[in-house]
Amino acid sequence: MRPLDGIRVLDFTWVVAGPVTTRILADLGAEVIKVERRGSLDFGDRRGGLSGTLMRGKKSILVDLNDPRGLDLARRLAAVSDVVIDNFSARVMTNLGLDYEALVQLRPDVICVRMTGFGLTGPDHDHVSYGPTLQALTGYTLLMAEPDGPPAGFGYSYSDLAGGNLGALAVLAALWHRRRTGRGQLVDLAQLETAASVLGPVLLERAANGGTTAPVGNASQEAPAAPHGVYPCAGEERWIAITVFGDAEWERFATAIGRPAWTRDERFATRSGRERHAGELDRLVAAWTRGQQADEAMAALQRAGVAAGRVANAEDLCARDPQLAARGHFVDVPTPEGRTVRIDGAPFVLSETPAAVSGPGPLLGEHAVEVLAGVLGLGGEDIAALRASGVLG
Amino acid sequence: MGALAGVRVLDLCDEKGAFAGKLLAGLGADVILVEPPGGSALRRVPPFWQGAPHAERSLFFWFYGAGKRGITLDWRTAGGAATLRRLAARADVLIESEPPGTLAALGCGSAALRAGNPRLVVASITPFGRTGPYRDWRASDTVAQAMCGIFFLNGHRDGPPLRSLGLQAYHQAGIFAAVGVVSALLARDVSGRGQDVDVSLQAAVAASLEHVPGFWHQMGLVAARQGTLHWTRYFCVGRCRDGWVMHCTLGDWTSLVEWMKADGMGAELDDPALEDIKTRQAEADRLFAALDAWAARYTVEELHEDAQLRRIPYAAVRPPEALLRDPHLAERGFFVPIEHPDLGLTVPYPGAPFRLTDAPWRVARPPRLGEHDAEVLAELR
Repeated sequence: MRPLDGIRVLDFTWVVAGPVTTRILADLGAEVIKVERRGSLDFGDRRGGLSGTLMRGKKSILVDLNDPRGLDLARRLAAVSDVVIDNFSARVMTNLGLDYEALVQLRPDVICVRMTGFGLTGPDHDHVSYGPTLQALTGYTLLMAEPDGPPAGFGYSYSDLAGGNLGALAVLAALWHRRRTGRGQLVDLAQLETAASVLGPVLLERAANGGTTAPVGNASQEAPAAPHGVYPCAGEERWIAITVFGDAEWERFATAIGRPAWTRDERFATRSGRERHAGELDRLVAAWTRGQQADEAMAALQRAGVAAGRVANAEDLCARDPQLAARGHFVDVPTPEGRTVRIDGAPFVLSETPAAVSGPGPLLGEHAVEVLAGVLGLGGEDIAALRASGVLG
Repeated sequence: MGALAGVRVLDLCDEKGAFAGKLLAGLGADVILVEPPGGSALRRVPPFWQGAPHAERSLFFWFYGAGKRGITLDWRTAGGAATLRRLAARADVLIESEPPGTLAALGCGSAALRAGNPRLVVASITPFGRTGPYRDWRASDTVAQAMCGIFFLNGHRDGPPLRSLGLQAYHQAGIFAAVGVVSALLARDVSGRGQDVDVSLQAAVAASLEHVPGFWHQMGLVAARQGTLHWTRYFCVGRCRDGWVMHCTLGDWTSLVEWMKADGMGAELDDPALEDIKTRQAEADRLFAALDAWAARYTVEELHEDAQLRRIPYAAVRPPEALLRDPHLAERGFFVPIEHPDLGLTVPYPGAPFRLTDAPWRVARPPRLGEHDAEVLAELR
């Protein structure tokens, strides 16, 4: 049993943010039917890799929504779906006649999730965006930088992931609300606002104290800590992150690295002294780490009770991390073609009703017959006619 | 009324899990923050209102404590643990971020708590999860970001890797904990029983990467950091007359080139081959150089506005505080004025990450230390 057994999601999402929401719903047991268009952006092999990780466990149908017959199929599917979700810019679903006002006529308790860039209201509601442009507007791009350095923020669309993960929470909350009240609803998710919501205390700081925000590089953004940051290790592009908050951790750190003379320097004896002389301390710590293998230093520091971790690259993460491996973070999924693809699984464990990858990514239109016959009860002749006319891929 | 109205949550979390309770409170749950008698460690974390350290003036605590009720209880003592068990008997959810085994050693592990309340959902947020060889390892947000692959990706090629703005390991773990909690509540409707939710900081952010694991599994590619150049090569920061802008070559390319031509520039981009997005990807360096030369004619805000009028997805590179003055967010009411009566202060708090139009998000002041002690203990009688 999974928590969303029996829930059907009609999924018009594409690129990244929307598919991230619906992959979590699929992991939780929902039947997710992707309504796809020809020629939309994709990321290669649909079974595995990035695409497979985004589309895992979903069904795919290819429908021409510009044809009235295609639109009719979409509307009939919406009528038997618990959740209808898209991440187009605001006007698209309205122009198609598939916005909440239209869907609620087909199914009064529908949960309609609109994951737009800027939301359905407000002067900028019709603006166009992608993850990187939203990150630019919310401060990540500018402030992820070395002190006084040029912008260096996110070389990927983190905001798509933040918005996608929060989108799953929105759907779950709306399903809970429907269980209690019998009512569906419209969910207006602006990815500008999801990105702003995970900035953390900085917005409150500016609101309460005024001032401007400067880049802090790798300094602690929680309790003050020194040493704190990322330090170079032996080898090319090997780094270790170390955080030492209090005196007890400082003692453990000094012991773990063999108590060189500088660890007994009076300036470093107290937490405030270490913070005051953080620059000097960083240089001394880096001089030590440069002679260390990142993996060995990480293990030695962790054995001593110090928070330390190698700066993991893709290979470390996917092929050389015993923790993620032991937790089954990546899963091998068989494909109908007899291949096996390795993709991400759900990152949380439910002890009694665990989330699980339902299958690999679907091929484009793979489930047309299953969905149209199984869900809508269409006969073989009708389906063939739709195919012949190009309405169905 | 919020979506989770009527759901009671005991929040034992430190900074690692504080975002989970904040989200559940926003969704309308009655989240009771359980602090040690000296106050949550979050109250000692800067920044502080007007700068001076004070338990009621940590903006860090305000952010993560917003919307929660607060009680003081030393559950690390035998008496306190007994009170915690009584509280848990009346709760739907308990969320905690202690090292694995800590609560069990006090007789407050999930099995013991469910013996008194079979419907209880217990969510744990730990650095690496409650099982596996690193289960007892420690992490800060920075260390978790390092171990999950996000850190390696950020920064310029010739500089060090850079952590992300905001405690994104804690935030993603908080989101997945909230996802797990609501999933467990939905499952409880069917089974009648609660269950454990086990969230790892490391896995939460590893699941919030984009191309990194997929490209490794598919082609053995180790994605490298490349400054602000997006891995798709369709986005890169460029310079305007007075600041930075995010270029985008993925949107309406034809309109972008026409605009440049109208400015008497961009002749080298007027090439039918570039209508193919794969070509634009391959020739990104050349494209961004030409776009930079053109963008230098404009101020950041001019370029942002003009591009959006043409439906070209460009964006100004702004500091976060610009959001406080953004007319769009103002009209949507994203920021919610919250009164701190003790300080004679009203502050706009960031509000709903998403709008459930039939179940509004709730933003409220964080609790004063021990503010709800009497109220919550009275509810136990």
